[in-house]
Amino acid sequence: MAISEPTDAPDDGATDADGGTATADSADVASETATGEHYLVEYLRGHVAHAFVVAFFGLYPFAHTFLTGSLVGAEMAMFLPRVQTMITVFYFGLFAMSFDFISGYTGYLSFGHSAFYGLGAYFVILVANGKVPLLGSGTPFMVLLLLAGILAVVLALLMGSVAFRLTGVYFAMITLGFAQILYVFFSNWDYLGSNPRDGIAVLGRQDGFSIGVPYVDSLNMSIGQLQGDTFTWGMDFAAMTGIDALAPISHTIVLGPGEVSYYMVGLVVLVCYFMLQRIVHSPFGRAMIAIRENEERARAVGYDTFRVKMGAFAISGFFGAVAGGLFTGYRTSVAPENSFYFLTAGDALLASIIGGFGTVAGPLFGRLFHEGLHEFLTKEGGGLLPYLRSQLGEGTLNTVIVDGFTVAEAIEVFLNGRAGLYIGLLFVLFVLYVPNGLLGTLRGYLGGTVAGQVAAAVKRRVRGWKL
Amino acid sequence: MIPLVSLVDAALHFLDPAVLARVLFDGLAKASIYVMIAAGLTLIFGLMGVLNFAHGSLTAIGAYLGGLVMVTFAASASGNVGRIALFFVAIVVVFALLTAFGGAMEVSLIRPLYDRPPLYQILLTFGITLVLEELLRMILLFYDIQPSTDWLAAQGTRPEVISKTHDVFGLGVEGLEVFQILLGVAITAGVWLFLTRTRYGLYIRAGSEDGEMAQALGVNVHQAFTVVFGVGVGITGVAGALLMWDSAWAASINLGAEVLLPAFVVVIVGGLGTFRGTVVAGVLVGFVDAFTTELFTSDIVGFSALPELFIFLILVGTLVLRPQGLFGVEEVGGH
Repeated sequence: MAISEPTDAPDDGATDADGGTATADSADVASETATGEHYLVEYLRGHVAHAFVVAFFGLYPFAHTFLTGSLVGAEMAMFLPRVQTMITVFYFGLFAMSFDFISGYTGYLSFGHSAFYGLGAYFVILVANGKVPLLGSGTPFMVLLLLAGILAVVLALLMGSVAFRLTGVYFAMITLGFAQILYVFFSNWDYLGSNPRDGIAVLGRQDGFSIGVPYVDSLNMSIGQLQGDTFTWGMDFAAMTGIDALAPISHTIVLGPGEVSYYMVGLVVLVCYFMLQRIVHSPFGRAMIAIRENEERARAVGYDTFRVKMGAFAISGFFGAVAGGLFTGYRTSVAPENSFYFLTAGDALLASIIGGFGTVAGPLFGRLFHEGLHEFLTKEGGGLLPYLRSQLGEGTLNTVIVDGFTVAEAIEVFLNGRAGLYIGLLFVLFVLYVPNGLLGTLRGYLGGTVAGQVAAAVKRRVRGWKL
Repeated sequence: MIPLVSLVDAALHFLDPAVLARVLFDGLAKASIYVMIAAGLTLIFGLMGVLNFAHGSLTAIGAYLGGLVMVTFAASASGNVGRIALFFVAIVVVFALLTAFGGAMEVSLIRPLYDRPPLYQILLTFGITLVLEELLRMILLFYDIQPSTDWLAAQGTRPEVISKTHDVFGLGVEGLEVFQILLGVAITAGVWLFLTRTRYGLYIRAGSEDGEMAQALGVNVHQAFTVVFGVGVGITGVAGALLMWDSAWAASINLGAEVLLPAFVVVIVGGLGTFRGTVVAGVLVGFVDAFTTELFTSDIVGFSALPELFIFLILVGTLVLRPQGLFGVEEVGGH
């Protein structure tokens, strides 16, 4: 089963400046290296695009605070997602990436991918509640993420050993079957909590979950909506000494629990992204793409396709479970509906298609788009509705359109919480007209991976410089 | 997990003729429902290889449309005969509307995707289901019907003979179950006749065995696809209308998700492109459902989701042991 990418399939393997595959582009790079350029320079240049994206996300909380406080604050608050929403984008984006890693790169649609997300999510909470034998409720969160990932690898190998005997629709269905078995099981197993259908929450653990180096307190930051750490950077000399004259050199940056969680979750997702990106650009990743394009041929040239598929599925499961662990680490509660249910995988599919099927970072942007639109169309967090309500005025809102149906009611029915409709419409349009998604289309337009093309462009500009 | 003693208990429990008769009867009613909800899906999947993810929401739309006809005209049709006659009118209306809708959907949305890999059809119909579900929710909210709970007004249009439990040879037999079994048999027979006695039935059978060959021999595959998709969606809608009266399913926005997965299971277990397989799988799933429900209600097993769990176990078990399904041909559908 091949998900073909009409525009960029041929050059998919041919345009990685950082991957260093044998292509015209990297031959160019090789000659540069021969002229004495340090490989580190080359490497850093390969990541210019990443640096821009990381800088964007790094500055986002400050930009958000600044812009919503400015003159056009109301409009900005309407369009820009809140920092809390961005945390959701991070962990769910990671899940969507892991989904895309197996589905977009090998062409095997893993419709039951929610099994891994749910496993990670439940594992973290169950350990925190002391329900998992051998593991104390105080086990560091980072250790839990790793263990959840390893557990997911085991599950993926079990599922894969059965599921990879099938292809196409049947593969999608058998993974869906496995995920639904877990869903039914976790919605009804009363060992988990008093009412498993409604989900479970962290009960035993007081100090919340922290991200950092395990067992070293000073290198950890707590995440969570309520229990998250705050962080102060810089010193307020004026306040410390009581001398007002020191005010000009007193600068502090205070990060609230939301911001700290944003950065810490973002950091884990960033590390995971680089790992996934590294794997995709390795020979193993090339073998995955070969399977997508033509599995029989891949086998014919000597790849053990079954093992490659199993490996890819295991890696994908690992990161899916890490994403699930981050989800409950931040939210401290989970329900079967938002973890094991098959529509969770459906959301990942949505994010992947909109962002770019068969790209590593695409799903994150797809999810950003989804969450952004969702927030835009709900009452919470300063979306379109409060804005309209404040701008339109009572007179307009109470205007009757038809038969006692007022404008206010129309807004309520057609816009409030209706993001699903518009996302669905958009999804259909993407499947029909933009099958490569945002990032995939951008890639086709640039003629190679975004990171690779940016690197090449930077190189052309600074060719004369001696670095 | 279950101690030996309770196994013996369970065996003895099912040897009781009254229990056995009830389980078999329930199983038959459930089998009819499973066959009905899978019939439309299997027609579309069989010929076109399109696994229609919008199947569930189309069932829900059928349920609401059927309910709309019933609720609107219920006052003028009283008595058992009047209500049942009205119900058949509702079925015809639902079938006509949804067949037209399905045909239009195939022409405008599905057709552009035939030259793409088959997974794109899953993606597209998945998108369609999101849109349909939200549209339905919007319309229901507009008319002040609570979308996430069962539509009781539609259930209230059941005639007395169907709501009642009848006493047959000392056994309590629900009128609704008898009605479901009769309709299930009728629809199965109808689809069977469509497949074996009509031109499009011939195309479907030919197309599901070897689509390219059928096309080479002059079958207008495009037209056949439109008709089959339309009829498949129409049957799906009729199944929804039947579920509207059953309090275990009922018309609600959640009906879509409730129907979708069992329908997938029945179609996949039966095997791609065989209606016979679908019927056998539906009967199998129906009886397993009835049997495991009895295990739970008689307190032999204390796990309430046992039937649900078993449905998916049947799916996984079949795909492990016989990936092509009970009656499927190995070649078909292997992409």
